[in-house]
Amino acid sequence: MPRPPPNGRGKMPKLLRLNRRAEEGVRELLSRLLESGKIDGVLTLVRTGRNGVLTYSLITNSDLLEEAVPLAPLMPANAAKLLSRLTLVEPAGRPIAVVVRPCELRALTELTKLNQGSLDNLLLISSTCAGVYPLEIAVDGNIEEKLPQYWEAAKKGEIPADIRSACASCVHLVPYNADMTVNLFGNEDVDEQCVIYLNTDKGEQFAAAIATEVIEGEVESEVIEGLRNKREAQKKKLFDEISVEGLHAQKVFDKCIGCRGCSKVCPVCYCHVCLFDSGGDEHDSRYYETELEKMGYVPVLPNTVFYQLVRLFHVSTSCVGCGLCADVCPVNIPLSVVSLKTSESVQKAFDYLPGRDIEEGLPLVTFEPEEFAAPAE
Amino acid sequence: MTHTEQGAIFPADGGVKEGILDFLKQALSKGCFDAVLIPAKAPGGDSFAHLLIRDESLLQDALPICPVMPVQGAKALSSLTRLGKGDKRIAAVIRPCELRATVELFKLGQVDLENICLITTDCPGALPLADWVKDPKKAEEVFSEILKGGAGESLRPVCQVCDKFSATGAEDLHIGTLGTKSGSILLIPGSPKGKDVLDGIGLPVVGDISQWQETMSRLTEVRRGKREQAQKELGASVSGLDNLLDIFINCINCHNCMRVCPICYCRQCFFDSNNMKFEFEDYLKRAEMAGGLRLPPETLLFHIGRMLHMSLSCVSCGACEDACPTSIPVAQVFSLVADRNQKAFEYTPGRSLDESPPLRVYGEKEFEEVEQSHAEASAKREGQDA
Repeated sequence: MPRPPPNGRGKMPKLLRLNRRAEEGVRELLSRLLESGKIDGVLTLVRTGRNGVLTYSLITNSDLLEEAVPLAPLMPANAAKLLSRLTLVEPAGRPIAVVVRPCELRALTELTKLNQGSLDNLLLISSTCAGVYPLEIAVDGNIEEKLPQYWEAAKKGEIPADIRSACASCVHLVPYNADMTVNLFGNEDVDEQCVIYLNTDKGEQFAAAIATEVIEGEVESEVIEGLRNKREAQKKKLFDEISVEGLHAQKVFDKCIGCRGCSKVCPVCYCHVCLFDSGGDEHDSRYYETELEKMGYVPVLPNTVFYQLVRLFHVSTSCVGCGLCADVCPVNIPLSVVSLKTSESVQKAFDYLPGRDIEEGLPLVTFEPEEFAAPAE
Repeated sequence: MTHTEQGAIFPADGGVKEGILDFLKQALSKGCFDAVLIPAKAPGGDSFAHLLIRDESLLQDALPICPVMPVQGAKALSSLTRLGKGDKRIAAVIRPCELRATVELFKLGQVDLENICLITTDCPGALPLADWVKDPKKAEEVFSEILKGGAGESLRPVCQVCDKFSATGAEDLHIGTLGTKSGSILLIPGSPKGKDVLDGIGLPVVGDISQWQETMSRLTEVRRGKREQAQKELGASVSGLDNLLDIFINCINCHNCMRVCPICYCRQCFFDSNNMKFEFEDYLKRAEMAGGLRLPPETLLFHIGRMLHMSLSCVSCGACEDACPTSIPVAQVFSLVADRNQKAFEYTPGRSLDESPPLRVYGEKEFEEVEQSHAEASAKREGQDA
């Protein structure tokens, strides 16, 4: 069971109650922050283009926030990847607010530890997360009709139908390290009330800009615990269904066409040049001829399965199970389940939870004199 | 067509697939080549892959005419020979669009063809990869309908309007399967290398191929008409920046299209390089100019850049569209642009190994109309400045 999110202060977080629908409340908060000059930009989901397609945008004009849908259940990109892009060369020189999901925030924390971005000047706003729909649902334009049932399920602390399996089995539904957390669960008045927890001093300071009434409260509740248990059960079911041990991996990855979309969208696959693009994966004719002699046949492209295994290995300590890899796979390999299953076992061995705490050192760069001295049971 | 006017008639009583496999087995056993590169069911049994096969017995599971194209054959050939040819002589059984991409890669120095015998077949087209992934059994049923001449609307959109589905002239050997007498296939040599294979198994090249040629010309005409029509319709809906934005707005920047494209061979794409990484302030200022900046940025620029880089060699194979997770009609848009660009240069990619890519050929009097308008515009600008 995951530890409760640290707020780093050892005191009850304050909360802000706005008499607005949750999403409108967040929009109002962002708009006030932007107009008051406390922040210079907002990264959030926005309806763009003539067809109102959902994408992330960096908004600087508060009028455009009318098109913002900060809580829309879709992940067209992992926001951590976008924030890494924005802050890789230099940290944000001016304050911006970012509205991201718990898994995106965790990935951002990991990327910051990996020196691929910076949290400086970012006001981190997240929400308890009911999950997102697969990308293809958004492309079909069916997401609107799903929204009523989505919010209904969130109110009751249930798993909405048709959300991605990565989300239905995610137990990290309460954000770690957020300055502000919008609570969506167990709030019967989610249509009329927006409840924002202020987890940090920074969060409180920014909220002061609009705060009318601040009270104390704890985001964790029985509803959230109940949902976590449902998802834990779902996760176990998914893990049991897919076997990646030993040679089973071959079967799982057989369909791979080598497009590497999974790596390109993965927030923690940050290498500038992937080993498999480096020339390191190229084989000369001798390789093919030797394999041909041995087996009578050889697959060309040869490294699709190997690539997947190495990727699993490379992301294992930092994988946050955001599920984008599975979303973009053109041949529907259940990559998110496979990745989470293997990653969790590695993370457990190191007693490490990626994205939990910015101060927690990455396992592979933390030296422990007495680590893994005896073989694991 | 640059082929001889004759071909060898090969028995295919058990069906086209069996006929082709029989021919390959014979050629393999007679030592005409040492191995065959051909699509086959992957060892797991629920997917297809290009396999390099040495053993005749393993050819049994090969599919010379595969229902889907998970990997472009030119990409496979490049993987096999990019670091130089080997000692083995290999017959590659590929689709005409894969052949054309191979020819382009040859010109670009990404494939070595010295020990490769390129064998193409008349191509019935391929099903969308997503359809096959969703329901392989149903897809195989639909594909068998297609092989009988039906269910054409189930093919990938680019295959439905492909007008280069048969011999193109650059193959060593073409296998005619449409418009041939039932119970037989035509083996038509396109080069001395291909002729050697037929000689090697003792097949005389004396069969009349005029009936097959007529069928091909007729089908090509039909397809050409369909292609023009489809491009006319698409052209109206994608021209101009706003329309392009609408088409590509779902792009999530996964670069799958670039990865699976046989022509996009750069080891590191410009758009993944440090050239496209900017300072925070730069992004924020761009956002401030318009009120907001869509993220990831430069998605449309990526597609336009890619178009510019590869459209003269684009063979409309459709691999990009198959791999797009957000169902953008990438291949249809790209082949529209490619056709227009190629027409401007009077260039057909993959037609011949000897034809240089247009950007490598210096024509002193080329595109004068462009030069002219450019010169006028700049003279006008100078006039205004003065």
